[in-house]
Amino acid sequence: MSLTFSLAHLMGGVILLAAFSLLSQRRLAAMITLYQVQALVLSAAAFWQGYAQGEVNLYLTGLITLIIKAIILPLSLREIVLRFNLMRAVETAMPVAVSMILGVALIGVAVLVVLPTTPGNVSLTREDLAIALSVVLLGLLMMTTRRGALAQIIGFLSTENGLVLAAIGMPGMPFVAEFSVALLVLLAFLVVGVFLFRIREHFDSLDLSGLEQIERRGR
Amino acid sequence: MFGLPGAGMQLRLDPLSLLFLVLLTPQMVAGALAGEARSLTYWLFALGMVLAVTAASAFTLIFGFELMSAASWLLVLRGDQKPATLYVGIAIFSAACLVPALFLPASSLAFVLVVLGAGAKAGLAPLHSWLPKAHPAPPAGVSALMSGGMIKVALSVIIREGFITLDPALQPWWGNVLMTAGVASVFIGALRAMLETEMKVLLACSTVEHAGLIAVGLGLALRAKAMGDASLTALGLEGALLCALAHALYKPLLFIGAGEVKHATGTASLDWLGGLMRSMPRLSGLMLLAASGMAALPLGPGFAPEFLLLHAALAAAGTGGIVARIGFSALLAVLGLSAALALGAAVKLIGVGFLGRPRSLQAAAAEEPGGLALAGMALLGVLMVPLALVPGEVLRLMAPVVRELAPNAALAPLGYAPLPLLGLGLMVAVGAGFGLHRFGVRGTRGAATWMGGFGKPPVWLPFGDPATQPTATGFAEPVARAIGRGVLPDDADPAELLVLAPLYRLHLKGVRLAEKLRRATIRERLAFIFAALVLFLLALGLLGGG
Repeated sequence: MSLTFSLAHLMGGVILLAAFSLLSQRRLAAMITLYQVQALVLSAAAFWQGYAQGEVNLYLTGLITLIIKAIILPLSLREIVLRFNLMRAVETAMPVAVSMILGVALIGVAVLVVLPTTPGNVSLTREDLAIALSVVLLGLLMMTTRRGALAQIIGFLSTENGLVLAAIGMPGMPFVAEFSVALLVLLAFLVVGVFLFRIREHFDSLDLSGLEQIERRGR
Repeated sequence: MFGLPGAGMQLRLDPLSLLFLVLLTPQMVAGALAGEARSLTYWLFALGMVLAVTAASAFTLIFGFELMSAASWLLVLRGDQKPATLYVGIAIFSAACLVPALFLPASSLAFVLVVLGAGAKAGLAPLHSWLPKAHPAPPAGVSALMSGGMIKVALSVIIREGFITLDPALQPWWGNVLMTAGVASVFIGALRAMLETEMKVLLACSTVEHAGLIAVGLGLALRAKAMGDASLTALGLEGALLCALAHALYKPLLFIGAGEVKHATGTASLDWLGGLMRSMPRLSGLMLLAASGMAALPLGPGFAPEFLLLHAALAAAGTGGIVARIGFSALLAVLGLSAALALGAAVKLIGVGFLGRPRSLQAAAAEEPGGLALAGMALLGVLMVPLALVPGEVLRLMAPVVRELAPNAALAPLGYAPLPLLGLGLMVAVGAGFGLHRFGVRGTRGAATWMGGFGKPPVWLPFGDPATQPTATGFAEPVARAIGRGVLPDDADPAELLVLAPLYRLHLKGVRLAEKLRRATIRERLAFIFAALVLFLLALGLLGGG
């Protein structure tokens, strides 16, 4: 029993750590690798939870996570970087140190919200939920502090990892939800991929500032 | 008729609404006679006022009030666009305050909202600065009805809500609020009326003053009613209602007269008029009568209400704690100063505009206006006579209204009887005339030359020129030097600097912020949503979240 707790917490902690280092990372390749690590640990966590809770569904979730997020998505992201010959450095909207401080504050917020509002639940799900919420918030923070489209996409995917982490930690969460979330991510990825092609065609770059300029000019 | 589905439109005819109907009718007739009879908007305006004073349900009241606002906006728009925009802003503000106030349960919040909403419409300080701009803009008949009628309708809303509907939650400080707003409007209105040179603007400023006087009376009565002082309640209410009645007669007359003067001479600026007493004697006579009411001269229609109000303030100053006594003494002082200023304004209006010699060719060539407008003015003038000579009887007729508003009010007979006073004055005058005639020394005596109201002419103009007469500006100069420049820097109303200008700046800032939000990039918008999410989460975490 205690092994269940500590191992689940450990994996949650690793996912959170990955999200945090995503926030501090300035290079695209490293970001993709970090995302891959995060997804790998997530799939491991899903397998572990499936074993601990005796749910076959969670094995399936883990498998989907492993195949789509840990293998297909990073591969195609690298492919995009290669094909578009993107700048390998990520432009940030605020200094990394500031965004790190904000991230720490967000983790504080998440703990502050989850721990008092769910007093009746088992400690496993409570702390797991706090970690998952932190991952979600960190992903959102990354989306708002990065300028490049690809970095924002990675932030979005990291947010989604947090959601899945929350879902697998909850006993009795229907498998349909996770499945649909995974599908959604795939769809979003496809859509964004198409968008990237279009943006690239027009501006020869994936920097969104060009889009902002045209938006300004249009008004 | 039409109204809320199922409920319809409910009207009632109790003493209060009857009093206000009586007060509105003559000026509506006079305004129609002054050239508005064929205007559909004018009659809609009048209908809105009638609905608002006779309404028995909140919906009917709002409907009438807003009909009045919308119609009068169209009428102001006939004059000029800028004041109309200012006016419609105030009208929307007052609707935004009144609509929630009428549907709230009886509470202090409801009363404050009513005072804000109806007070803005009645031109109570500090929301009065639109009135001297919007009231002079439309044609004279409309100005008359706006000044004499519309502010009365707004005050009737305050009366009905404050004394009847919100009575269960009555607090003494409600009266203080009304009195403070009232005394501020009295002072600023009288001072501006003294300083203005344009006839219609002067009259509009004087309207601010009289709305303030009525509010002071109502505030005194409301405070006394909350504290259970029966005689003071009656005094304050009688003063306020009589003031409303008198003002509803002489102010429309003055406005219509000013409009006719403008029609005849092409200007309403006192600096270009003069000598109208000779060319339009009947109109000038009526204006003189009405101006005596505006100045609250004894034996005029405006004296009895002011007498009652000062009496009430004196009575209030003799009761209560030290703070209340000091406050009421200050109130008395300001009322006295404002009465003097109002007298100065009336003297300026008549003395500069109608006496002396014409300052322009147009003023010299003015002709008496056509019969209809004069008939309307004469109607108002005739109705003023009972108010001037037998105010006690008028008050007795108004007793049911006072009893409806304050059932426990102790009505006392009016301590001012103009008829015996008039008789006494006549006797003294006849006696003195007889004595002069009988015992006076016949003969002539030399004295230094009086210039007949003219200034010292320059050497190259030995025979006097009408332009050397004191102008309205010159007449007001002593007052402007003594208090005007201190209170009204750069000739701007302090309410504009203190209320409208900050509002304008706030609006500009809001617009800039909205524009910035509209132009935000995708990332910035994401950040907004994210920040909002974090804020909500933080609130959830800090406030316990249930």
